[in-house]
Amino acid sequence: MTDSQPTRLPVTAELTIATPEGVVFRLPLAGPAPRLYAMLLDSAIVLGAVNGVGYLVYWIFAKAPGYGVMLITLAEFAIGFLYGAVLEGSWNGQTIGKRLFHLRVIDQSGLPLRIEQAWVRNLMRVFDALPFTYLVGGVSLLSSRLMQRFGDRVAGTLVVRETPLGAPAEEAWTRQKYNSFINYPALAMRLRRAATPELASLIQDALRRRNELAPYARREIYRELAEYLQTEIAPFPDDLLEMLSDEQYLANAAGVLFGDQRLSRPHT
Amino acid sequence: VILDLERFQAQARPRWSKLEALLGALEGRPDRRLNPSQAEQLQELYARTAADLNRVTHGALAPELRQYLERLVARAYAELYYATPTRSEVWQLRRWLRIFTEFPEAFRRQSRYFALALLITVLGCALGGLAVRYDPASVDVLLPADYLRNPGGRVHEEEKGLNRHRPSPQIEAAFSAKLITHNIQVALLAAALGVTFGIGTALLLFENGVLLGAVAVRYTQQGFGVFAAAWLLPHGVFEIPSILVAGQAGFYLARLLLRRRQDRNMRQSMGEWLVLIAGLAMMLVWAGIMEAFFSQKHAPALPYGFKVAVGVAELALLTIYLLLIGRRDAGAEVRAGISSEKK
Repeated sequence: MTDSQPTRLPVTAELTIATPEGVVFRLPLAGPAPRLYAMLLDSAIVLGAVNGVGYLVYWIFAKAPGYGVMLITLAEFAIGFLYGAVLEGSWNGQTIGKRLFHLRVIDQSGLPLRIEQAWVRNLMRVFDALPFTYLVGGVSLLSSRLMQRFGDRVAGTLVVRETPLGAPAEEAWTRQKYNSFINYPALAMRLRRAATPELASLIQDALRRRNELAPYARREIYRELAEYLQTEIAPFPDDLLEMLSDEQYLANAAGVLFGDQRLSRPHT
Repeated sequence: VILDLERFQAQARPRWSKLEALLGALEGRPDRRLNPSQAEQLQELYARTAADLNRVTHGALAPELRQYLERLVARAYAELYYATPTRSEVWQLRRWLRIFTEFPEAFRRQSRYFALALLITVLGCALGGLAVRYDPASVDVLLPADYLRNPGGRVHEEEKGLNRHRPSPQIEAAFSAKLITHNIQVALLAAALGVTFGIGTALLLFENGVLLGAVAVRYTQQGFGVFAAAWLLPHGVFEIPSILVAGQAGFYLARLLLRRRQDRNMRQSMGEWLVLIAGLAMMLVWAGIMEAFFSQKHAPALPYGFKVAVGVAELALLTIYLLLIGRRDAGAEVRAGISSEKK
């Protein structure tokens, strides 16, 4: 995972699954925006396919336009209905649009969806699309804890986000040889106890994006963060502060928060 | 439990990569079947990674690592617990041909919803018919199009062939495709409206019934009963039942959603809904063909008596198909199963 990609996407909704073995994991659900983009792309593909078939039929049936119209009408209808159902059913819950936007339809229980479910949720589109532009489906999705349109509710399916993730890389602050905060175990402990996950993430991101930030912005952000930690959470002594830049201060704090968690490093 | 993240990651990373590679290989294969050694390996890696996830969740502040492990565990979980249908199952022609027997079986199993759809339509018919019969003012409201209010002109046009540019099988073909797709869409909507607890389905059926009753009475009143029967029966005997089946599917869906909690086999229940829809689509394909190629030919070309007879024969065949094809006891078995589950 490179620094430019924020990995902690704002999680608006998630599904928590507890497996029979007592494993608990969360699946991030897809909100309306990516689903809309995926749907627009899929619609464009369907439209393209229908037009392609149309031209072909027009060319083949130049002498018998009536049969041509019949074929086009039936093909348009069939492609429109089959596209989503067949692709999702045979491609593990993805259409071309969903694949490009990293979405996947799954069963509510966290398992891959079944072919019946793919058909049901796609046939239910006639209802979700009412009265125009998927208004019913959109309202259903926004009012549902699991972000389901009616087709999903009936079929028992969900759309999850699958942003590609790699195993997190080694962080810069783990490379520093010596963390002077360790000399103050009580304060370090207090820092770790009081820091919320959000605050810890904020520090982590600020340090990670060091090279993306303009020097002035970086200075300001680091100063504000360090000041906040110092005044609100763990007041380290002034003689230590004098030796540390704001950036070093934050790196030390990150070391305390994310690094060796035992704090039993011998005094040097 | 507090975790030394660095050491922990260094130790565990090889097994995560191994699991990732195994999952990648499995997900890439079309049939997604596991051989025994793979299954064993997957099971073991899944258990260990799940344990790692537990430790990270409770012992460390590492949101990214947690997300990464959650993704891995979710993928492994899906691979382990999902019985994939084999490709041959999906692409077997015989499986698809079974729909011809499955449809009447499903129809009989859910016949009470069909009865409900029929009842609502008949009530609508009665209301529409009585309104036109006893309240002439209602005609303008109930029958929006002029050719429905005053059938005389239309009948004249139809019989003279004025309404049609040139009787050609091509135009009939195009017309039939339009009818088929339009009717299937309307029927599908009726079936999908089951999610409104069946209210939408009922309203649609009732409205349809009112129109049907009003038209029938109006045409009969004005002395065009035979014409109307010959005009509508050849396709109507399939079209109207198919709308009733759509209503049946809608009510079935409503019932299904209401007792979703008790339903142990949601998959099968949803399959039943799909079978009903596939069946009504087949009926509408036939109705569309008849309406375009047969119904529109009138007296001089085709005698009315013959057309009515064709309609009646079709209805008889449809009835036999729906009531007799497939396993006879299929309905009883499943119903017994459901009632015993209820207890």
